[in-house]
Amino acid sequence: MKAELEKIEKEALALLKTDLSLDEIKALQVKYLGRKGLITGCLRNISSLPQEERPKIGLLANKVKKLLEEAFRKALKEYSAKEKRPEAGIDVTLPGRPLLRGTLHPITQIMREISDIFSRLGFEILEGPDIESDYYNFEALNLPKDHPARDMQDTFYISENVVLRTHTSPIQIRTMEKKQPPIRMIGPGKAYRVDSDISHTPMFHQAEGLMVDENVSFGDLKGMLTIFVHQMFDETTSIRFRPSFFPFTEPSAEVDIECVICRGKGCRVCSHTGWLEILGAGMVDPAVFKYVGYDTDRYTGFAFGMGIERIAMLRYGIEDIRKLYENDIRFLHQF
Amino acid sequence: MKVSLSWLKDYVDVDVDVNQLAHALTMTGLEVESVTDQYACLDSVVVGRIVDISPHPNADKLSICNVDAGEGFRSIVCGAPNIRVGNLVPVALPGTELPSGITVREAAIRGEMSHGMLCSEAELGLGDATSGILILSDTARPGTRVKAAMSLSDTLMEIDLTPNRSDCLSFLGIAREIAAILKKDLNYPKIQLPSGDRSVSEQTSVIIEAPEHCFRYAARLISGVKIGTSPFWLRSRLESIGLRSINNVVDVTNFVLMEYGQPLHAFDFDRLEEHRIVVRTAKEGEQFTTLDGVERKLSSDMLVICDGRKPVALAGVIGGLNSEVVTETKNILIESAYFNPISIRRTAKRLGLKTESSHRFERGVDPRGVISALDRAARLMLETAGGSMAKGVIDEYPRPTSQRVISLSVSRTNRLLGTKLSAVAIADHLGSIELNVKISDNDHLEVTPPTFRVDLERPVDLMEEVARLEGYDKIATTYPIAPVTSNKPIQRLPCRKSLFASLAGCGFSQIITYSFIAERSCDQLLVSSDDSRRRMVRILNPLTEDQTVMRTSLIPGLLNTMVHNRNQNNEDLKIFESGKVFFHTKEDTLPEEVEMISGLWTGSRRERSWHAGATTVDFYDIKGVVERMLDGLNVPSVHFRKPGDYARIPYLKRGYSAEIFSGEVYLGEVGEISVDVLKNFDLNKPVFIFDLNFDILLSQISEVKSSKGFSRFPAVSRDLALILDNTVEVQGITDYLKGLGEDLIEYIEIFDVYEGKPIPQGKKSVAFRIIYRSPEKTLEDAEVNDLHEEISKKVLEHFKAELRPS
Ligand SMILES: [Zn+2]
Repeated sequence: MKAELEKIEKEALALLKTDLSLDEIKALQVKYLGRKGLITGCLRNISSLPQEERPKIGLLANKVKKLLEEAFRKALKEYSAKEKRPEAGIDVTLPGRPLLRGTLHPITQIMREISDIFSRLGFEILEGPDIESDYYNFEALNLPKDHPARDMQDTFYISENVVLRTHTSPIQIRTMEKKQPPIRMIGPGKAYRVDSDISHTPMFHQAEGLMVDENVSFGDLKGMLTIFVHQMFDETTSIRFRPSFFPFTEPSAEVDIECVICRGKGCRVCSHTGWLEILGAGMVDPAVFKYVGYDTDRYTGFAFGMGIERIAMLRYGIEDIRKLYENDIRFLHQF
Repeated sequence: MKVSLSWLKDYVDVDVDVNQLAHALTMTGLEVESVTDQYACLDSVVVGRIVDISPHPNADKLSICNVDAGEGFRSIVCGAPNIRVGNLVPVALPGTELPSGITVREAAIRGEMSHGMLCSEAELGLGDATSGILILSDTARPGTRVKAAMSLSDTLMEIDLTPNRSDCLSFLGIAREIAAILKKDLNYPKIQLPSGDRSVSEQTSVIIEAPEHCFRYAARLISGVKIGTSPFWLRSRLESIGLRSINNVVDVTNFVLMEYGQPLHAFDFDRLEEHRIVVRTAKEGEQFTTLDGVERKLSSDMLVICDGRKPVALAGVIGGLNSEVVTETKNILIESAYFNPISIRRTAKRLGLKTESSHRFERGVDPRGVISALDRAARLMLETAGGSMAKGVIDEYPRPTSQRVISLSVSRTNRLLGTKLSAVAIADHLGSIELNVKISDNDHLEVTPPTFRVDLERPVDLMEEVARLEGYDKIATTYPIAPVTSNKPIQRLPCRKSLFASLAGCGFSQIITYSFIAERSCDQLLVSSDDSRRRMVRILNPLTEDQTVMRTSLIPGLLNTMVHNRNQNNEDLKIFESGKVFFHTKEDTLPEEVEMISGLWTGSRRERSWHAGATTVDFYDIKGVVERMLDGLNVPSVHFRKPGDYARIPYLKRGYSAEIFSGEVYLGEVGEISVDVLKNFDLNKPVFIFDLNFDILLSQISEVKSSKGFSRFPAVSRDLALILDNTVEVQGITDYLKGLGEDLIEYIEIFDVYEGKPIPQGKKSVAFRIIYRSPEKTLEDAEVNDLHEEISKKVLEHFKAELRPS
């Protein structure tokens, strides 16, 4: 019995030293000191001991009982004191266990956004080869050999008739060759030109758009691109169309948006014009339709193309285009 | 093209602000890129009053002037004799860059400080007088800008012309557009020529032997000219748009080139042998020294202008040294011609020569404008160089231009543009730029474009003119009405999206690198000479050494990106790239393009934090990423094999890399980059990569996902800890267990793999937890024990393993 009492004392004190909740302390109090508790049990059993041992054990049992009662009182007091201290608990300001966020390249994010906008308008997303034949990259786009407009694009050549595509426009031709109107498609991808400076990289990204149907007009082109600009930038962004020239569209237009930096007031980014050029567009030239065998009496259509880098740089305030292809992880993690 | 506003005003009355004009031009398709002040260089030249002149102590011809320049007195050293006390003179303040290119500085001149410079008319670019300082009128106030005091103002516009508008490569062309915009008249120069003396045909002749290259060739003869500097008006006109003045005769040809857009050439008539012109193609290999002093080898499809014996000019591109107008020249033959644009373009391109002349010829000049430009040049030469003109003109015109008549439908125009313009409105627009329009009926116009509009051939070309003259901003914005159609997205789009999401979720960031790489990349990767990745597509005109071939692997891009980041002290890297690789197939045909997805992980396994110290990434980390990607795509039966040999993957470290399969289809590999390859990229930290063929992956993806039922009864697990040879692959054991066909085995978990004490050398301990469960009932302990014992026995026997004592 003596050993048992000693064991109870030791065990209970050890337990109280551990980090316990209020409920746990109370439960232990019942377990040891309650009416059916271990100490009470011992005291009850004293009567079953031989007469000569009873006083000694009784004394011991009461001593243990008092000791534990005191210990539990102290534990409860400490607990409530701890509760009241404001700095108690854990330091919730320490950072959580980090889970690294991977990011998609800003070009991918902008491309997806553009594709999504046109997908919602029923445009199908299509791709094409990066290395193209002279036919798809130039000729079928009404850019015959010896045409001065070929100077507009400095081309990387693989061989006489094979080039790195200088724009994503060949996707239009490949699409029209495969099916008859109505066509609504958007073709994102890489393009290449012999050009490298603060605003050009020899590889860049474009998204190409095409809609062909009966009665598609220049006014409709304005409408579609206005929807695009309002979703890509915001509803209040002004948009303007001005005449330009592309061999594969006629009439052709450059599309400017109100400078997103200065809101049209004029700043360094927009060369103090208040406008930023972001798109080239126009009505598909009948010569292009002839190459793919469309009935030019029946169908009209519009096409447009835009540089992704330019939009990404405007959207994210990237000043040097080369940052996009250095792939510095500190840069990539910003998106 | 650069145009000066004051020059333009010779042809059209501009009564709007220059910025308004620039905007209007931009909105009709002539994009004005910049508007600058012609006299900006004189901004820091001010009016000064000479208050005192004293002799220079160290130089007889110099004097020291004390000048009141408004803000105070300046001491300026000057050498001109014409100045007097009280004169008002132009003072270039230090920092001024004069038109001659000289920058004025504060400096000691023969020991005396000079705080500026007094300028002559010539030094300011305002006239011919070089001898003395320009004396300004008495009304000028010291300190004001000379520009203001002399009312100097002119504006330069830089216009970015599109290649179709060759008609605007001239002042008259641009003035014509302005006249249409401002609804003004266009004033052509009035040309009155003397009747001339001896007939030109008596003195010279022109023979066109190659009419397919030269459609028209006209010439006039002026004799007795005196070559010298051009008058100030002519020089300043040319200089205002950045052209250098050469001599009066050449300056006139350049002036008319700019005015009419018709390139002209002046020959020294006495240097033409036999005094005649022959237009023919060059002989193959014929040598010819052009005006720039370069000896060029010609080919048989190039057009040359010859005298009776030899070439004297490369037609439409550049003149020859042997017939150049020089100081002694007395007699001039002026050429004005129309050459086949394609022929000029080929010649210029072949010789790498681009001149003002070739630029215009290859875009097409006005075949009808040949004579007026010639006459204008003759008139101006007589005025500036004197001499007398021969009677008549030579005009060989073997291929006369026919004027096209284009039938334009009003309704079709409105359908394309989305407008509701009347026939009259359309006719008005076209008429404003000198197109001849006849309205045949309500819907049809007969339109004859002038010959200088070589770009107007088809009805759609006219529709564009209508749109641009109406103003794109006036065309109503509408929305197309289209039938509802929808196609399923091409397979690679959602699959790419899924892979990107898995990778970003695993902490990988996407990089994009150039598709062209350095040729040495294959060597760096130790790829063997017969490997398909050596079948590189070569770029004929690469920009740099590092971009000469199209990539056949994404790994060099990943490693080079790591090098860049390491140089920036970014040691921890989790990156991936998705993109194409290219394989050469046959000469002059499209190469094979394959889409890959590849990743790289180096440095720490987790982000550094206070929770745990940094641990370094290992093979199983990157393998986990691959497993997650493939699982996300629902690729069936994915497994990893130890490569039989490393021929396909020589850049991976032996024993630490695996090939990835779906069933028997090879998808790619995962592993550690070998030390030798790291060295080739100047790297020294462990790098783990994966490299997957996305196109093959796409073909393996199972789109079917189906739900299976699962048991409602509790599971029972039993452990099996084995000691076996460390060469035994764990997957073999799990495959064996699964292969036993025991339906009650629900799942096998590997929960411990261990080598080292107390396990004997050459052995390892592998512990499995087998989870048993029945779909029909709660399993009895005894039943499971029997089964587990039976299975254990089979495994021990099959793999010659022992049970690990617990
Ligand atoms: Zn701005």
